[in-house]
Amino acid sequence: MDDLMAGREPDPSAALALKVPVEAAKPRWWRSVTARRYAFGYSLLTPAILYVGLLVGVPFLFSLYLALSDASVGAPVARFVGLENFVAVVQSGTFWVALRNSLIFTVGAAVCKGLLGTSLAFLLMQSFRGKKVVRVLVVMPFTIPIAVSTLGWKWMLDSQFSVINWALGQLHLIGAYGTDAWPVWLGQPRLALASVMFVNVWRSFPFSAIVLMAGLTSVPPEIIDAAKVDGASFRQRFAKVIVPMIAPILLIGALFDTVFTLSDISIVYLLTNGGPNGATEILPMLAYRVGIQAGALGRGAAISLFLFPLLLPAMILLLRNLRRREW
Amino acid sequence: MIELTRRDFIRVSGTALAGSTLTTMLDARQAPAQIRGTTLRMLKWSHFIPAYDQWFDKFAKEWGEKNGVRVMVDHIPHLELPARYAAEFAAGAGHDLIYFVGQILTGHYYKNLVDVSDVASGLAKKYGGWMEGAKSCAQIGGVWYAIPDYFISIPVLWRKDLFDQAGLGVPDTWEKLRVAGRTLKAKGHPTGIQLSHCNDANHNWRAVLYCFGARETDPTGQQIVLDSKETREALRFAKALYEEGMTPEVFSWDDASDNRYLASGVACWIHDAISAYRTTQDTNPEVFKSTSVLPEAAGPGGERKNVGEPNVWAIWKFSKNVPAAKEFVEYVADHQKDAMTASRGYNMPFLLGHYTKPMPVIGTDPKLHTLQDIGKITAFFGHPGPMSPAAQEVLTTFVIPDMFTRVCRGQDIEETLNWGVGEIRRIYGKHKAA
Repeated sequence: MDDLMAGREPDPSAALALKVPVEAAKPRWWRSVTARRYAFGYSLLTPAILYVGLLVGVPFLFSLYLALSDASVGAPVARFVGLENFVAVVQSGTFWVALRNSLIFTVGAAVCKGLLGTSLAFLLMQSFRGKKVVRVLVVMPFTIPIAVSTLGWKWMLDSQFSVINWALGQLHLIGAYGTDAWPVWLGQPRLALASVMFVNVWRSFPFSAIVLMAGLTSVPPEIIDAAKVDGASFRQRFAKVIVPMIAPILLIGALFDTVFTLSDISIVYLLTNGGPNGATEILPMLAYRVGIQAGALGRGAAISLFLFPLLLPAMILLLRNLRRREW
Repeated sequence: MIELTRRDFIRVSGTALAGSTLTTMLDARQAPAQIRGTTLRMLKWSHFIPAYDQWFDKFAKEWGEKNGVRVMVDHIPHLELPARYAAEFAAGAGHDLIYFVGQILTGHYYKNLVDVSDVASGLAKKYGGWMEGAKSCAQIGGVWYAIPDYFISIPVLWRKDLFDQAGLGVPDTWEKLRVAGRTLKAKGHPTGIQLSHCNDANHNWRAVLYCFGARETDPTGQQIVLDSKETREALRFAKALYEEGMTPEVFSWDDASDNRYLASGVACWIHDAISAYRTTQDTNPEVFKSTSVLPEAAGPGGERKNVGEPNVWAIWKFSKNVPAAKEFVEYVADHQKDAMTASRGYNMPFLLGHYTKPMPVIGTDPKLHTLQDIGKITAFFGHPGPMSPAAQEVLTTFVIPDMFTRVCRGQDIEETLNWGVGEIRRIYGKHKAA
């Protein structure tokens, strides 16, 4: 402008300097707020991902590799055999017995634990003297080491020195020792399966009760009171109000319980070792016996992987239900 | 006159000196200097006779002190050994010297075990050879990958007072045992053999099977020969024995139940290791006084086969102290008589030289002295075939006891035999393919 007023030619570079303003330096993408939030989120998630990947993913993939190979305990590097191990497993009569027993064991124990756990939870929600002591006593089976409590039951269910039989005998409810009317808890096929289920239920139903109690305490009393005012019976309040409200907790509890029961080996191993004649044989027990004790790692892994398709649909159903409720 | 150069003289005298040193060292069982300052870690099971473990730990420690070796002995329950070995093998680290008991895994791990043929042949030479079954638990393809330590015999323990009262003689045949069971059950003294999933069920019903002349495989361990007239006879006999002489509690028994059955004074006879005899001695002296022992009952053809429980040593290839492990195994074999004494006659040697009468403990006990000849009639699982991985799987999946259980529960013999033979064929077929 000064140049024009002075009658001189304008300097083009000065015009350019005026017309094109200097652009501010663009921030790098990883410095953006969104990227930093992502990075922070993933860094928090990493330990969990690593934990699941290393402790669940890797063993699962390794067992898949074993199941598709002819690996044995003395030769873990083995050749690929495709589905041969699975075919061999399903050809064995013992496998089908173990599969049937596993299903009966898991479903039967879950139903019993559900019923007993619910009753116990409601009982412990009531106010009475000595409630704290009772609560401690009730959770005891769950806290005692499984080997100790199971060996205690082994003695109580002994064929000769059973204290249960002694008590029943005193009440004249069973026959004399050595007769057919003397129950052999771990020796008669149905009684043996019922006995191992009973010990599993005895040990685990306090867990079900605790889970349910945690849920019940989260239900606002006003809602229950409102249902009462509306004339809902106890059954209706339980089914229509309480259960829908605590469903996420119940589903998580059911999920844990199914996994724990289906993969429980200790009780059967200590009480019956799968006998008599496979009456209490379950899949984890058979997998251990074939894979570790007999050394056929490939077939053992194949047996244990049969648990996976059993558990997967149950898990998907439970988790989908849970997610739907969250939305 | 032979002319000797200076070089020849050095060579001859050097060889002679080395030879005489070696001979002296072997005679005195002096361990080589190379093991001094090393550590030897070994894994054993928790013996049924706790006093034996105490003796063994002290024995091993003393050997270590004598030879400048730090010895560490771990004991775990025998049923947990296979899982432990699988873990050690996968990790490529663990104990130097390991031990197989009952479940013999030589066939599984031999590629990863040290060839101990030198030790085995040395001991055989020194003690007049190994008993017949030794090779089946320690040799693969003619090579020794394990050293048999001892076996556990499973004789007949019977109540002489009850037999005498009923006018029954010495039960030296299975038929007499059946009659005794029938007679004495009526008087409140039944008999019992485990019809369940436990070690004893495997031994005892195999003993019945073998005494009746039946076999699982041929001597090569390749052909399944269980489907036979003899097996049918053994199953038929077991059904009669159960129905006439036992109660249903045998379906729930574990390895210790028959010990308690005898010690409680109920049983008229049982078929078990002498741990039952010792339990009775310690807990019920009255019953113990009238308890007698018979090595084995004979089958219908007069055959006696006692099915023992083998115990063998093995050394991992990844062991950091193979020389010390070999030295120690030899030292144990040299002191087998002390081991017999410490185990109260429970451990039976594999080396024939240790059968010189009177044997420790059992040679001086009038009720046990007949066990001194039990080595001659002892067989092991898989007999007459080797303890192969397939035989091991048949053992651990309880196919034989389950066959007897099915028949005793009333299942048809042919149907049971089809099932049992099918299971065994499938297992052997799978291992053959692998």
